[in-house]
Amino acid sequence: MMSAKRSAQIAIAGIVAAFPLMPTAVSAASVEENAQICAGCHGENGVPQAKTTPIIWGQNEGYLYLQLRDYKSGARKNEQMSSVVAGLEKADFKALASHFAGLKWPSMNFPSPPKDVTKVALTAIGSVGCTSCHLDQFQGDGTTARLAGQQPEYLFDTMTAFRDGSRANNPGMSDLMKAVQPADLKSIAEYLASLQVVGGGQ
Amino acid sequence: MVGMKSSHAYAAALTALLAFSVLPASAQEIEHHKNEKVKPPAPAPTVTQEMLTNAGSDAKQFLHTNLNYEQTRFYPGKQINASNVSKLRPAWIFQMDVRESLETSPIIVGNVMYVTTSFDHVYALNAKTGEEHWHYKHKMGPITTYCCGPNNRGVAVLGDKVYFATLDAKLVALDAKTGSLVWETEIADPELGYSETMAPTAVNGKILIGTNGGEYGIRGFFRAYDANNGKLVWNFDTIPENSVGVWETKDATGHDMHRDIAAEKAQLAKTGDPYKTLGGGVWQNAAVDLKLNRIYFVVGNPSPDLDGAPRPGDNLYTDSLVALDLNTGNYICHFQYIPHDVWDLDSVSPPILIDVKDKDGKTVPGVVHAGKTGYVYVNKRDDCSMIRFSEPMVAQENFWTLPTPEGARMLPGANGGVEWSPMAVNQRLNLAYAVNLHQPMTYQVQSSPYPDGKLWLGGAFKVIPGEEQFGNVSAVNYNTGKIKWKVTTPQPMMGGVLATAGDLVFTGEADGWFRAYNADSGKILWSFQAGAGVNAPPSAYAIDGKEYIVVGAGGNTQIDFKRGNNIIAFTLD
Repeated sequence: MMSAKRSAQIAIAGIVAAFPLMPTAVSAASVEENAQICAGCHGENGVPQAKTTPIIWGQNEGYLYLQLRDYKSGARKNEQMSSVVAGLEKADFKALASHFAGLKWPSMNFPSPPKDVTKVALTAIGSVGCTSCHLDQFQGDGTTARLAGQQPEYLFDTMTAFRDGSRANNPGMSDLMKAVQPADLKSIAEYLASLQVVGGGQ
Repeated sequence: MVGMKSSHAYAAALTALLAFSVLPASAQEIEHHKNEKVKPPAPAPTVTQEMLTNAGSDAKQFLHTNLNYEQTRFYPGKQINASNVSKLRPAWIFQMDVRESLETSPIIVGNVMYVTTSFDHVYALNAKTGEEHWHYKHKMGPITTYCCGPNNRGVAVLGDKVYFATLDAKLVALDAKTGSLVWETEIADPELGYSETMAPTAVNGKILIGTNGGEYGIRGFFRAYDANNGKLVWNFDTIPENSVGVWETKDATGHDMHRDIAAEKAQLAKTGDPYKTLGGGVWQNAAVDLKLNRIYFVVGNPSPDLDGAPRPGDNLYTDSLVALDLNTGNYICHFQYIPHDVWDLDSVSPPILIDVKDKDGKTVPGVVHAGKTGYVYVNKRDDCSMIRFSEPMVAQENFWTLPTPEGARMLPGANGGVEWSPMAVNQRLNLAYAVNLHQPMTYQVQSSPYPDGKLWLGGAFKVIPGEEQFGNVSAVNYNTGKIKWKVTTPQPMMGGVLATAGDLVFTGEADGWFRAYNADSGKILWSFQAGAGVNAPPSAYAIDGKEYIVVGAGGNTQIDFKRGNNIIAFTLD
């Protein structure tokens, strides 16, 4: 598994390659223009450039809005995303969230993990009750993220970041991830990534 | 207000479906090809206050979430009874468009039934045939914040309107006949953790509603809105500005709660009263005493759930019974079951107003409530003080062990005992019927600052892999506190109970069984396999001289029971 630091380096490389002149004030731009900035990392067709970058096409609108809001406030920290949102306002976040929520989630066809991995994942998931918020088929809703079909490397990194506190914009998730055995995180990530996406912008 | 006004409900529903086919809610929807012919309006009679007041003796209709203002869930009809219930059969099954957690209490007005689904759909059905009159799909805003399933527990009815509340924290009034939108008002900001899953209560031109959000650091409230226009009539903050209380070290049953009062006082001196983010949602209906002109409701857990450090004091009025003046919302009295709760043991099951025996054997107006603790509490209605509590309906293990960073095991777990599930009572037998969970958990504490409306548990509660879980149906004598009978069920119980004058008790189970019990003995008299978790409270009604029992079978998000999308009405062959 790639380290978080290495992942971040790749993400930076990707964004720098695509947008060497990072815009800092784009609030007057249309949602399509703003969305073009996102495509540099998150993909022209919804498939992210790096495995550790999340799929955002077809992600839940409320969730996308909160993340953009939190990058702006600093509650969620990411150097690239902080630059991207620096010139944006609440209305831009809502427009971008609506835009990406309406795009079709890319079909990545992550493989189903072996039975023993699935069993580990389901035991951990059942114990902390992930489906209470992310729902029966891990499609999420509103401000809760869709996890089904997400990139496994991103899921692993995210759970790890919640666990070690480096992602600090949802202490409830940090608490829950701290209650999960670290050895189980990879299994959970692989299991969730393999699940079918239902809806997802369509 | 949303600008969706259609003269015809079906057009409104179709518009909503088309407009929001991209929302996440569609993930759980079932493709449903409909007859697009325009349907006639639902023949719903006007609901008068007199009808609502006398609902307890009305065997034809089911007008309140919990049957009557007293919330007895005791149906007066006895056509279906202990001698013939074995012949109960499905009259019809209606399949809704949403296959997700189903907690609705069917409301029946005349021959029209109103049911709701997860993600806030409302259906009007022909209660005799199960045919659809109209289907309204709430235009959900992008921001919804809720912890425990996209549930909706049903509607209230008054006049020619149907009222319900939504995940994006709106109160909505629909035309009862057409399902078209009449008005919609925002109750609170969902970005700060407010949401709605409870059914409202309609009384004297007011619509009463509380809020969810105890897992998000809200400041809870209970409110009355004008039924005609959705304007706020009064607001009661369930968390007063002085939430400290009396530094009570024991719970209502006398158990030491291991509070470190010195540390709490030091914290109070340092950070002040935590009332602004202290939680205290109200997520089940209030009982209404029209003679006293009062309402009685119970208040949920403090925020953050498991970390008491940032919230010194008793955390009033969390985990409490509260009585207010119906006209003004002014405080009358309260009783706190669990001061400074650090186990998420909300008070939530709706309180019931019945006469009870006091400690001297004298009959007095009482309030009966079942806690997540697994106790049935009996309080006096005049001053809210407690008369007695029952034998525990679930085992208590390591009660009250404080949460630790490593995790401390305790039973009951955070789901109870008795969860939101409403009880029913049979006053001839002096019995209250409750459904319980036996679900041990480990409680872990972690401190974190208030996260601006995000999930704020202050730790984690974990179901323990490998530990046995089950449930029970318990009949408790509220005049003695003794358990009369208890039937163990294979799965934890969540849903609710209906008792009838036919000496029956109906309740459903997570594995799809819906059963009728002998009210006096607990003997199972009838069972039906619904194919999905029966985790909703049953209702009953009569049309053309024929009685029906109706219940939703759609499973449950919170404890992950098998999902479905059925409303099933039963009658005798």
